[in-house]
Amino acid sequence: MPLRTRKPAVKLDRRTLLGASLGAGLILALEACGGTSAGSSGGAGGTLTWAWQLPTTWDPVTSSAGSDVQMLALVYDPITALDQEGNAIPWLAESWAYDASGTKVTFTLRAGLTFSDGSPLDATAVAKSIERGRSQQGSLIAPQMKTIKKVSASGDRDVVLELSEVDYQYPLLFAGKTGMVVNPAVFEKDAASLATQPAGSGPFEVTTYVQNDHASMKKNPNFLAADEIKVSAFDLYPQADPATVVAAVQSGQYNVARLGGAQVQQAKDAGLDVQVLDSMFVYCLDVHTGMKPFDDPAVVEALKFAIDREKIKEVANFGIGDVNYQPFPPGYVGYNPDLGEVYAYDPDKARQLLADAGYTAPVPAVFTSSGIAQAAVELIQAQLKEVGIEATIDTIPQTQHTQLVYIEHSKALAYDGFAGRESPVQAFQVLFGAEGLMNPNRTTSPELEAQLKKVKETPTDDPAYPSLLQEATRIAVTTFPNVFLYLAPSIVARKGVSDLPKSPSLRRFEGVTTS
Amino acid sequence: MSTLVALWRIPSARFALLVLAAVALLAVFGGALAPHDPLKQYTDDVLQGPSGAHLLGTDYVGRDVLSRLMEGTRLSVLGAVEAVLIGGLLGVPSGLVSAWLGPRLEWITLRISDTLVVLPFTVFAIAVAGTLGNGLQQAMIAIGILISPIFYRVTRAAALGLRKVQYVEAAELMGATEWWTLRRHIWNKVLPNVAVTAAHATGAALLVVASLAFLGLGVTPPAPTWGGMLSSDLGYLAQQPWAPIFPALLMMATVGSLNLLADAVREATGATTAPRRRTRPTPSASREEQRDVVTS
Repeated sequence: MPLRTRKPAVKLDRRTLLGASLGAGLILALEACGGTSAGSSGGAGGTLTWAWQLPTTWDPVTSSAGSDVQMLALVYDPITALDQEGNAIPWLAESWAYDASGTKVTFTLRAGLTFSDGSPLDATAVAKSIERGRSQQGSLIAPQMKTIKKVSASGDRDVVLELSEVDYQYPLLFAGKTGMVVNPAVFEKDAASLATQPAGSGPFEVTTYVQNDHASMKKNPNFLAADEIKVSAFDLYPQADPATVVAAVQSGQYNVARLGGAQVQQAKDAGLDVQVLDSMFVYCLDVHTGMKPFDDPAVVEALKFAIDREKIKEVANFGIGDVNYQPFPPGYVGYNPDLGEVYAYDPDKARQLLADAGYTAPVPAVFTSSGIAQAAVELIQAQLKEVGIEATIDTIPQTQHTQLVYIEHSKALAYDGFAGRESPVQAFQVLFGAEGLMNPNRTTSPELEAQLKKVKETPTDDPAYPSLLQEATRIAVTTFPNVFLYLAPSIVARKGVSDLPKSPSLRRFEGVTTS
Repeated sequence: MSTLVALWRIPSARFALLVLAAVALLAVFGGALAPHDPLKQYTDDVLQGPSGAHLLGTDYVGRDVLSRLMEGTRLSVLGAVEAVLIGGLLGVPSGLVSAWLGPRLEWITLRISDTLVVLPFTVFAIAVAGTLGNGLQQAMIAIGILISPIFYRVTRAAALGLRKVQYVEAAELMGATEWWTLRRHIWNKVLPNVAVTAAHATGAALLVVASLAFLGLGVTPPAPTWGGMLSSDLGYLAQQPWAPIFPALLMMATVGSLNLLADAVREATGATTAPRRRTRPTPSASREEQRDVVTS
């Protein structure tokens, strides 16, 4: 087998006076609420103030949310990156090559890389970072690197992975959290500090972080594409309240903010730039097949047919997005077009499935919501009731979702979203793997495992790779209980900020300017 | 009955009683009188304005807003009443006991009351809901416990004043039991104060219930409550800027009426010596007073 290498590409009476005073006070109070204006500097420099999300931690090894990768990419660099189609392209590594057996891969780093503190980012640092990710107690990325037998540095620029089995997914895998390189000088001294003070080589470095409030960052002059970063600072805030988000951008409190479907028209009417960016985010239901009533496959099958996804998209997201029955978006290599509308809304079929299974009375269930997309949750509850599943909504705080749903597996049915993963095999592991966060009952399928083995053993540029992966998608979608609903693009409102690059997997800020 | 008649003679009390009677009617029969099923989703008519079919429009999943307001009255009001009942049951007996049964019990109840007074309502209710689970009963128990010191202090203050009056001492000297004295001489004097406190506390509890529902605690969706409706309306201000007015008006009318009623009960029963809002004097009396002042 040849070596496989990827290369780059009026009258003042008392009442009047009182009214005037109240009015003036109100104006002053509103001015105060508006905060300081952001991003007023010119194109070279300026601050990008983004109301988006704060990560669960600034340490990629212990991060528990898939969406954290977006924020972590502001301060860390991954070894590789993904192009628009989801193929691995060079980032820290300028190239990589598998050996003929497919059990050894060498990543060759660019020359002259440094961390934000100026220390060298060489092969030794990368090897130590990977080693920590696969061996540190409590690492949440370790399961994805199970097939690494040994990681070592060869010279200053070559990082060599020796694998216990053939696995061609590493170049994809290393485009995300798994491949983010953490400065060993920091984690060898105080790994716990990484939770609040990241140490990477990304486009920005954190100067202030107030948990659950905001993170202030400044441009990292040592970033490998520092010339492409046109802003001098980046302030990150949690997602703004829907009731005030448009006003917040108008007033200058933020200059970029994430919008819900309900705010799109309002933002346009306010004269803001609204940009819809494709993403890999798909809303879904996590179903625990070890808990009643979903321990009965007939109920799970009925659940899949009972939901009118088009209606949910139209009502809950104001028509923005696309109905989807699988974890990947159309155009992505793992998307299986043959699945079509495999679970198209068919309430009669859902009722029949329940009747055939012997259910004569409404089937009780508990439907957990962490407060996101309340409209969608209430629509689904009503649709389930229509077919004979009486779901009671159990609202939990958003901060407890990870603990209760992903770690304790104590919820039978939960409204959730899957942010996608850089490697499709990694996505399968999260959704359908034996240790998958979104596989509450840890259900496994020998058929899927066998298919994924074939996928891993096939080079990603092999002509057979897409069909093998799509077959894995078919098996997963038709045998696992996860219910996929619709793809939700990222919608942002901008004021005085240029277009954001269109990248479905990561939000990047190269070339973004403020005015 | 005489108290009710006295209340009815006060204009503000008449207004408050009429409003509260309407709210009570909605609380009992709101669901039955509602023009639509409050949970029925008309998903083709989402976020519609007022119309003949939906007098107050529809919400974010197409439910009839008027029907949800009517149905939501029950949970909103009953939750507050439940909290006040719990507060009264805990606070009134302990207030009487602290004034009547000796310094040791008095010390203990005062310290408990002091501790509860410093706990903020909403934070405590959130903590209880987090510990015991998210539900109306848990939230109401939490609020009831925090309301109890109000009843405790009012009852205790009234009872302490009565402890040394001559007819109570005379009854004790003649061999009356403490229970008889409490029932015969104290309770009737304490009750008006408790009634005034209950009216005020119900208003406060109603706002706390609404606040908790606003935060997603207490009543779980899709069951309607005033606070819950207000909360969800804020997410769709761009489409329906007027929508929060309806639940807010109902809350304001109910809480305002409870406060008016409390003032009126105080005036009608002489529950405290504090004067009710001063009424306008007659012109002649006013002139007489002015002349007296000038000549004196």
